[in-house]
Amino acid sequence: MKIYISGLYSGTNPQPGVGIARSLRTAYPKAKLIGVEYSNRCSGIHWQDFDEIWLQRPWNELNLTTHTEEIRRVLDSGALWISSIDLEIMWFAGVFPDGHPNLLTPSSAALEQVEKPAVPAHEGLPVKIPTFVTTEISDWDLHAFCREHDWKVWLKGPYYEAVRTRSWAEFEEKRHILSNDWATGRLFLQTHVSGYEESIALSAYEGELIDCVRMRKRDLTELSKTWAGDISEVEAEFIEPLREIIRKINWTGGAELEMVRDADDQLWLLEVNPRFPAWIHGATITGRNMPASLVEGATGLTAKNSPALAEEFTRVVMEIPVRSEFPLSPLPEPLGGTIGHSLKHPSGLLQFASRLHNLSSFDEEKSNGGGKSSQFKAPNVPPSFINDLGGLDLTAMETPASLFLENTAAEYFRKAGELADDLSSDALAVTNAYSIKTNPDERLIKLALESGFLAETISLPEVKKAIKIGFKPEQIILNGPGKWWRRENLPDGKFCSIFCDSIEELNRVIENLESGELQTEHLGVRLRTPNVASRFGIPVDTPEVFERLIEAVRRIPKEYKFAAHFHMASSNVGVGHWWHLFESILRWCGSIEALSGRLIEVLDVGGGWFPEDLQKDSSRNFKKAVALIPEFLPHVRRIISEPGKALAQPSMAVAMQILELRNFENVVHEAVVDGSIAELPMYFFYPHRILYQNPQNGGWKPLGRGKTKLLGRLCMEHDIVASNIELPENTQIGDILVFCDAGAYDRSMSYVFGRG
Amino acid sequence: MYLDAVSNTLINTNGSAKTARTIEKKAVFEYWKDWQPSQISHHGGLCCEIAREWITATDFSSLNGDGIFTGPRWLRQKFNWGASRFPIHWCEAVRRDTLDCGALAALAHEVFTVRGVKSSRVQLVQKFSALATSQWTDSWGKGNEPLAWIKDDLIYHEGCAIDTGDKNIKVWDASAGWWVDSKPADGYGALLAIRLSDFNLRTGESFKWGEHIIKADEWLETS
Ligand SMILES: [Zn+2]
Repeated sequence: MKIYISGLYSGTNPQPGVGIARSLRTAYPKAKLIGVEYSNRCSGIHWQDFDEIWLQRPWNELNLTTHTEEIRRVLDSGALWISSIDLEIMWFAGVFPDGHPNLLTPSSAALEQVEKPAVPAHEGLPVKIPTFVTTEISDWDLHAFCREHDWKVWLKGPYYEAVRTRSWAEFEEKRHILSNDWATGRLFLQTHVSGYEESIALSAYEGELIDCVRMRKRDLTELSKTWAGDISEVEAEFIEPLREIIRKINWTGGAELEMVRDADDQLWLLEVNPRFPAWIHGATITGRNMPASLVEGATGLTAKNSPALAEEFTRVVMEIPVRSEFPLSPLPEPLGGTIGHSLKHPSGLLQFASRLHNLSSFDEEKSNGGGKSSQFKAPNVPPSFINDLGGLDLTAMETPASLFLENTAAEYFRKAGELADDLSSDALAVTNAYSIKTNPDERLIKLALESGFLAETISLPEVKKAIKIGFKPEQIILNGPGKWWRRENLPDGKFCSIFCDSIEELNRVIENLESGELQTEHLGVRLRTPNVASRFGIPVDTPEVFERLIEAVRRIPKEYKFAAHFHMASSNVGVGHWWHLFESILRWCGSIEALSGRLIEVLDVGGGWFPEDLQKDSSRNFKKAVALIPEFLPHVRRIISEPGKALAQPSMAVAMQILELRNFENVVHEAVVDGSIAELPMYFFYPHRILYQNPQNGGWKPLGRGKTKLLGRLCMEHDIVASNIELPENTQIGDILVFCDAGAYDRSMSYVFGRG
Repeated sequence: MYLDAVSNTLINTNGSAKTARTIEKKAVFEYWKDWQPSQISHHGGLCCEIAREWITATDFSSLNGDGIFTGPRWLRQKFNWGASRFPIHWCEAVRRDTLDCGALAALAHEVFTVRGVKSSRVQLVQKFSALATSQWTDSWGKGNEPLAWIKDDLIYHEGCAIDTGDKNIKVWDASAGWWVDSKPADGYGALLAIRLSDFNLRTGESFKWGEHIIKADEWLETS
């Protein structure tokens, strides 16, 4: 018996070829095992169990037609072929559409049923699939997905590779790398599931499940790959639906179901690999030789029993002799100025992936990652933006110009007011506050005043401005670490609330209140809870500081209502995490109440909302929040809600003109605009929706993702205001682009640069 | 009576010389069968109350949104594992750098309970090696007294168990920061015996832990 085994890479993220060979050698001592590789750098070619090595040229050089014919001859001669290379398996499915009795790999119909991330064939198994989206949706929506899942997301390539992306800048960078590596923009984002990893490995022939085992990872490499594990039986509740699925999709070959078991014991299916796992010999050691069971199932030749040596296995690093017929190659020269020799994918798998995309046998529509011409969706832009833009005469403006979207802004403030009224009850009043630092534009501050908002300030100059616009001191909240800066601006009168940022400040403010130097209705603290990367508030992460805080709170004179303050940018920490922090703050406040004997009567909640996150089920979410408060803090009578950038962000946009178009291979690959990151300093933190104005009819078109970089006018390396957009075909110099969502910190933190 | 060090068998030499020697197997938990789980004491004042609130509020913050069955590994990040003097009060415990398995288990039990998880204390007997236990004897006892929690290659250890539903339990080793594997094992670090000890459990109430059925307040040999 001759068995060809392909995929012999044997680094810390190995292919299973060597493990399959070791297992088959145990079961069929006399079989001729032929190792197939596409690079002489894959160390598995030197493994002793191979009687012969069939070394091919790397995938990027290989003549696939000749290679197909050679493989067909091998299979026709009666030899078996077990592949451990996902891409080779997909390619086989294309070039052997009707299969071959000796080819122990699944068909393309079967592969489609286990495609990640959806894994259509998981129905019936006691598993869930982690939420995912394709990266073909707009950047705006991708950012929303990341926020919704607290930035605990993985960007995954079409076949292999998964990278954590913790911020928008990181996401953009990794997306660029992965898209280039795999020659496709069709990647996907999937939520992270915390828990313990386990797998089920199986062997099946022509739709019959032959054997399967469970493996729990017990030690991991730096990349979370298996280093040690234990093997156990798969329970009947899993095997029965699995058997049904294997039958239904007529699977042939090995497979691995990679899963995570969470703290609630729920299994999450991450992916199904269409081959044996690299640890497969670990199962053989425990007496479950699955490669042998596959060969036995396919040929009927009885395998020699594999003795159970243990229930657990581990890996070691071994040095083995290099076969003289395959001497080692020299190391490639490091690229100028770089560190390391870059030896990733020595067999040219990345190039093979892009070759596969170009093969007609590889069905682009159905395939998961292929596609030369991916369809990226443009973002949805609210009609009110377009209406407001219609009322502005852009030709009369000097660009870059900041545009105030008047009706949009009014509408957002009105809705926030309505929501507060809706949530208020006799027992609990909900009041909005506008944080002036978000955007100190007078038009917005005025809107806030007219909409019944309080003014939230971080400095006495901000207080002065609020008063100038019409706020009274009792409508003003003071917050932040530097609120007493420029004390000459301190107004007469009683503030609404003062929130102290430290125990030192709290003690000082108590003295000032007692001496009559300051007046306020509420006096409170801002807390910095453990595990929050923040420079604000009183850190309660040691029992010593917590005890000092309790002592200070006990000293607050009884005539001031005690208040607590919680602000956290949900757009940075994620929406789910924001809610956790909110509940966490309520618990800390409950402890402070219980220990200090001072009841919390006012809670100031806010922070960095995206308008969509605030509006999405807002009444449901806010009702939930408002309902949660009395559970922990039954004496709160007033909630101050600071929607932050949810109101300011959509209220302004930045218009800019195209100064130059640069072509490369008939594509505009760079365009220079007169705007810059000086007007869009938040460019690195979130994507902005971009509108293009048709110069003929004045109509507006949202831009999707494409190949054009928009370079800002500044002579600064990082002044790139958009790195991948698709400009309309007839774009001309002088055409107008409008960057929406620029009304919050883009505006307040914009700076003057390069204007002489 | 003496202990056969090799087979862990208690050899009864009492009684008439004519009687055949009766050999009874001594349970691995024999030395600790009457021990009770360690407790953290409370001064009854604000000092200990602040400390307890701090532990439970910090625990909730440390969950970072994960489920309530998540093991409170942060406790082990905060405190080293080592000898603790008893009695120990809450206000002292939170300020110590080092806590022993009993104090760590008591803290873990407290945080699980406050999270709303049904939790009970567990007492464990683990096997290590004579070398490991002699190291502990040296470092904990400074070479003076033999330590009561060590007997040859066995050690007494504490943790806590949580009920994840339908009387299925998971056993949390608060000193190691991991869930104890219920699969029977022998050898270095293996768990040999376990007892669920909690005042709130009814005697005889039983729980499922992997393949084991554990009755409250009764020692069970697991390997
Ligand atoms: Zn105390």
